[in-house]
Amino acid sequence: MSVFTIEAFLAILGLVLLMIEAFAPDISRRTLAALSIGGTALALVLFFTVASHETSSLPAFVQPWMKLDSLAIFYKGLSLVITLLVLWLMHECAPYLSKYTVDGRLSELFSLPLIVCAGMMWMAAATDLVTVFVALELVTVSFYVLVAFARKSNLALEAGVKYLILGALSTGILVFGIAWIYGATGSLSFEGISAALAKPETSKVPALLGAAFLLAGLGFKVAAAPFQSWVPDVYQGAPIPVTTFLSVGSKAAGFVVLTRTVEALIGEHSIIGPEVKALLLVLGALTVLLGSLPAIFQQSVKRLLGYSSISHAGYLILALACGDSIRTGMTSGGIVAFYLATYLPMTVLAFLVLAVLRVNGQGEDIRDFRGLGKRSPLLALALTLALASLAGLPLTAGFMGKLFVFFSLVDHAYWGALVCATIGAAAGFYYYFRAIVAIYSTEGSSNEPLKLNIASKVGATVLAVVIVVLGVYPKPLQHTLTKPVEVAAKASAH
Amino acid sequence: MITLNHYLVVSGILFSLGLAGVIARRNILIIYMCLEMMLSAGNLALVAFSRFRVTDGLPDYTAQSLVFFTITVAAAEVAVGLAIIVALFRTKQSVDVEAVTKLQG
Amino acid sequence: MLENYLPVLLQIVIASGFAAVTLLISVLVGRSAKRTAIKDSSYECGMLPLQEGQPRFSVKFYIVAMLFVLFDIEVVFLYPWSVIYKDYIAAHGAGIFFSALSFVSILGVAFVYAWRKGALNWRN
Repeated sequence: MSVFTIEAFLAILGLVLLMIEAFAPDISRRTLAALSIGGTALALVLFFTVASHETSSLPAFVQPWMKLDSLAIFYKGLSLVITLLVLWLMHECAPYLSKYTVDGRLSELFSLPLIVCAGMMWMAAATDLVTVFVALELVTVSFYVLVAFARKSNLALEAGVKYLILGALSTGILVFGIAWIYGATGSLSFEGISAALAKPETSKVPALLGAAFLLAGLGFKVAAAPFQSWVPDVYQGAPIPVTTFLSVGSKAAGFVVLTRTVEALIGEHSIIGPEVKALLLVLGALTVLLGSLPAIFQQSVKRLLGYSSISHAGYLILALACGDSIRTGMTSGGIVAFYLATYLPMTVLAFLVLAVLRVNGQGEDIRDFRGLGKRSPLLALALTLALASLAGLPLTAGFMGKLFVFFSLVDHAYWGALVCATIGAAAGFYYYFRAIVAIYSTEGSSNEPLKLNIASKVGATVLAVVIVVLGVYPKPLQHTLTKPVEVAAKASAH
Repeated sequence: MITLNHYLVVSGILFSLGLAGVIARRNILIIYMCLEMMLSAGNLALVAFSRFRVTDGLPDYTAQSLVFFTITVAAAEVAVGLAIIVALFRTKQSVDVEAVTKLQG
Repeated sequence: MLENYLPVLLQIVIASGFAAVTLLISVLVGRSAKRTAIKDSSYECGMLPLQEGQPRFSVKFYIVAMLFVLFDIEVVFLYPWSVIYKDYIAAHGAGIFFSALSFVSILGVAFVYAWRKGALNWRN
């Protein structure tokens, strides 16, 4: 069995769930949720058994378009994990979400994430822009539906329209960029583009034009400047599980493509390498600032997390601009992957708390956090860890991720970008700690304990433990992401 | 004689018109049409580049295969997009961009 | 040779100039007058307008048109497939048949979904 079988299984399961719901409309929400969560869990288990074999390969008919390297396997695993968590969150949020759908049913909500997951997994292994485009659009179009799913809520509908318009805009820009890249290099595969760009006779201006459009189009998917303005609005309007999926899943899938694209564009002897690096540095620094500074004034936690998502995307773009870092012994792709792996537990944990508050009939503002320390000490502690980690406090996962980014900026002496990143991190400390203070203030809050089911307790505990473990002992993950030999070989080649 | 440049100029004009429409228009349906125009600009450039990159007397078909995918993806996007816009119209009785300004910080 | 086009140019200048001047005058002069709802309503032989000028289409048309566009455009993949079908089978075996079969069956699932959800039901 190959990894491809698992992806096909997920997509087929999604279709089967649609069919079940279409032919048996009376089927209970619980059964559908159980089927999709069970299916994803099975896929995850199968994935770990398959991916651990060195020999696991892809079937012959997809080999021209896909390649399984360590990065692809990592992102495929990440997609499965986040899909599983999101499906679980959807199940937890189902009682309040079903109030906002037209017929009170949530059928597509349990099948679309499976299709999105298959799309993200294909994207992780894609080696040419055609496959990237199709997988990316499979994910994006499914997300249009997911964001606008609770369409009796005006906010969700508005978020859906905004996401739709800007998403379609980025698709148009992406296609235009691909066209010019193809025009300049005559190839649509990452290898071919990289090889053509290394030749001095390739014309520079069309390649630069294509690269700029391509990066802008992909920048939308990862919430980077100049297409970052949709993020807070869509995060606020979309249902909580969908926001979680957007902020981790969609971003991770976007970054795997961005990693491969940037690697192809700034490969050795690339004629547009310096320009693309400069562009990425400016975009990254701008993204950090545009994410961090407005976040200071936010009252809604969902908007706050939206701005935080923008600033995290900024750090990741800075890491990509740097290329390999000798000080940390990691490739830029490895640093990005590590950062995203740390970003997953902290973001999911923050959204889990929001979901619990929402199910308990509360809002999504920072003031709704008040008294959480008394109402549920476990959840308060877990949320504190998550927010501290998002801010980048030492001994949490978020710190290690940020540290790698700062190290590689220092490595390449990009001081301007370093200053912007530091300003962003400092602002981050302010707004995350404002939320932490709210958790432990008791003023004007209710004292009744929160209703928490056992799954939420276990989930919060596990996520919190992961945050601490990755913060204290990051070596194993670091090693699986980067083979030290690769970096040493690349470093000596420079 | 029509050369590659002619096609690229048309494609560039289409793209700019689409972008200008997206920025300037107030009606979401018109904005959506402008977005489709931008996609068509990309498609035109792809086909033109592909047609004029001749090896052994045959054009390079790689990019044209991508155009198939962009056309179908655009159709899927339109279907989902129109469904969302119709849902918006049903609740707000308007498809003006002013109808979607509630989400603000 | 270009002189032959001079009348055309003059025509364009006069036409656009006339339009611009009229618009400008109406803006300049019209600003002083008071606007009321009655003044702004459309004039129809002195009768009050009864309803919106453009009748609204039922949403059913849009749904059916959308579905048509979707299923219609997917055929784009079957044309190149059918062109190389015979040669490909002779050279590489029947894999190409099953790939198209899986593609069409996904479309079939989508069609059944639309049908069961009542998207094709004209009465409701």
